[in-house]
Amino acid sequence: MPKVIRSVVLKNVEFWNGKTFEHRDAVYLGNSGNFLSPKIAKQTNFDAEIDCDNALVMPAMFGLSLDFMAPQRDDVYTFAQGLEAMHRGGFYGGLYESAANPIDNNEKLFAAQQRLAGTNYQIKFLGSYSVGFGSDRLSEMLELTEGAGFANETPDALAGFGDGNVSFPTTRFLRLAMEYGKMTGKRFFFTPMDKSLRKSGCVHEGAVSDMLGMKGIPRIAETIAAHTVLELARFLNVPVHFKQVTCGETLQLIKDARQKGIDVTCDVNLYHLLFDDSVLLELNSSYHLLPPLRASSDKAALWEGIQDGTVDAISVNHTPVLRQDAEVNFEDSVPGALSLEVALPAIWKELSKRVSASRAIELLSSGPARLSSAPLAYDENDSARQAHLVVLSLDKPHLVSASDFAGQVCNSPLLGKELPSSILGTYINGIWRTIANA
Amino acid sequence: MSSLEIKHLFGLHGVSKSDLRQILDTAKQFRAVLDRPVKKVPSLRGMTVVNLFFENSTRTRTSFELAEKRLSADVVNFTTSNSSVQKGETLVDTLRNIESMKIDIVVVRHKGTGVPKFLAEHSNAIVVNAGDGAHEHPTQALLDMLTIEEKLGTLENKKITIVGDIRHSRVARSNIWGMTTMGASVTLCGPNTLIPRNKELLGNVTWESNVERAVQDADAIIALRLQKERMDDALLPSMREYRNFFGVTDKVLSQAKDSTLIMHPGPINRGVELDSDVADGTHSVILDQVTNGVAVRMSVLFLLSGGRFNA
Repeated sequence: MPKVIRSVVLKNVEFWNGKTFEHRDAVYLGNSGNFLSPKIAKQTNFDAEIDCDNALVMPAMFGLSLDFMAPQRDDVYTFAQGLEAMHRGGFYGGLYESAANPIDNNEKLFAAQQRLAGTNYQIKFLGSYSVGFGSDRLSEMLELTEGAGFANETPDALAGFGDGNVSFPTTRFLRLAMEYGKMTGKRFFFTPMDKSLRKSGCVHEGAVSDMLGMKGIPRIAETIAAHTVLELARFLNVPVHFKQVTCGETLQLIKDARQKGIDVTCDVNLYHLLFDDSVLLELNSSYHLLPPLRASSDKAALWEGIQDGTVDAISVNHTPVLRQDAEVNFEDSVPGALSLEVALPAIWKELSKRVSASRAIELLSSGPARLSSAPLAYDENDSARQAHLVVLSLDKPHLVSASDFAGQVCNSPLLGKELPSSILGTYINGIWRTIANA
Repeated sequence: MSSLEIKHLFGLHGVSKSDLRQILDTAKQFRAVLDRPVKKVPSLRGMTVVNLFFENSTRTRTSFELAEKRLSADVVNFTTSNSSVQKGETLVDTLRNIESMKIDIVVVRHKGTGVPKFLAEHSNAIVVNAGDGAHEHPTQALLDMLTIEEKLGTLENKKITIVGDIRHSRVARSNIWGMTTMGASVTLCGPNTLIPRNKELLGNVTWESNVERAVQDADAIIALRLQKERMDDALLPSMREYRNFFGVTDKVLSQAKDSTLIMHPGPINRGVELDSDVADGTHSVILDQVTNGVAVRMSVLFLLSGGRFNA
């Protein structure tokens, strides 16, 4: 069993000081996981010294849309493996929402918290606004918000209410849910998708779907649902968030809504920024995502939203899928992708080319944390606080292999691809981890 | 013919303070009659009252029937379960048929808002609303007002808090109109999905979403009955959550005045809108409300048919 490294000196780094990357000969992290001043460091025996060769040292990331129970097979993927994936990928926290096991009462919220017992990951949860993500019963939103008063219960564990990425059933029910949930003061998180327009579609409705003869999901499936949610948010004065926006039309609706004073935030899926539907011509089911990869013009519009500030966060949507459900023909495969282990090296170079480092960190770390009401990864000026950080080498590309993934599944569109940068190591919850194959 | 400014009692909206005063004062005199060994007076002798109940009702119908009999009226009960309405007869035809039997007063309960007014427009009888849809239930509000006056002396400057399903409550609406006319301040409290969405026309009332704040300094707390079908209709998640956040419990009661009255239109869902300790406790005047219901209904029937005490 390798020795656990708690105190570490990271030498020769480009350190994010909260405003910019600056060269530091050394950054010191103590046994409690906090930054140490050079003066205190002189009196400390460190477990390890790592030469980072001018790699970036930046705040660890916060993952939006985590689901470690997606296959409902704990012999294949477990909560512990999900947390391991977070450590490997440099994530100190995340917003958790299980599609398979909706958190619709306090017992389930507490059970989910118990799975984290003994760890310091900053995991926040989305409760379900309906019982079982169904369409006829509201969940006990007031009780979920207040907590049940169980011993060891984490206060403020609930970040908001979500839909489990299931299209809302009827506008009437949605109205009642938002009207009732307004009393909690929490934000509602939606994946906007009109059920009837989606029907059995599995890819973007466009030239590629026509060419392949596959049933498409039109952009208006997203915009019509988004419009409905925004109208209700305006009418009821309830804050809302759109998960995984896929097209420029929805971003325009969000901009217009903000002009009208509606409190709306949104995120974009990492993979929608990396790929468009032209990759579907490979007929590789690892590109099967929901919402689907859209056209290159949509991808460009999402990047524009990243650049102009419309997008609040980049989400990871980490969803394990059983090998037998992923390795089938595209239309019969289960949508979803792993992302925690590969997100940062996959996106950082492209992202930092298009936006400032400050904005990039906001999109990956502080933005999603704020949306989830979680603390930030680190504050160098607060030496009493634990610091969570990730060390990224821009010089070393990384070939993604199955061993990079923590669980027994590896459903990722990046499998077998070379990433432009690599994670040298992560320091999460006071433990340094050198990442293999770096 | 009526001794009041109003000729029928459709609701309390728009009813003058002097009419309300007269109804309540007359009810107090009938209340005294109810305590006598012989509880019957000949005020409506020779008059025929039909109780036209299109909705199920036990308490209100019994209370009206008792009031009518105490006034010596001839009483006919009509319910939809044994009527030609079940065979498709229209409302007007039902009324005309009954009216042909020379009735004087119609007491009506119906699921449709405005049915009492509709009946009055199509008949010569005096019409008393015993509950129309979620619109008004004026005699319930009057008995609430009578009970408060009986216990506290006056409604003037009293704080009345109504907790529960305001959106669907005809009792709440009638209480709002009646109590504010009599100078009380009314605070309404309930979950977002059970309060009206557009409150502008609901009078000069205060809204509060936290029940403990709503009852602070309250002279009387009226807990409304929670219909179980609200859960099926996705308006509430569970009885448990409702009780925990909107139920009138001992803890909630401790925020109100020591002298506060606990009221309920009945029947009570114990452990939901009212805890048993509260419903049966020293603050409770729920059974007084039931007694006062007969007196208030006697007063309304008596005054609308032209009666005057000491006249």
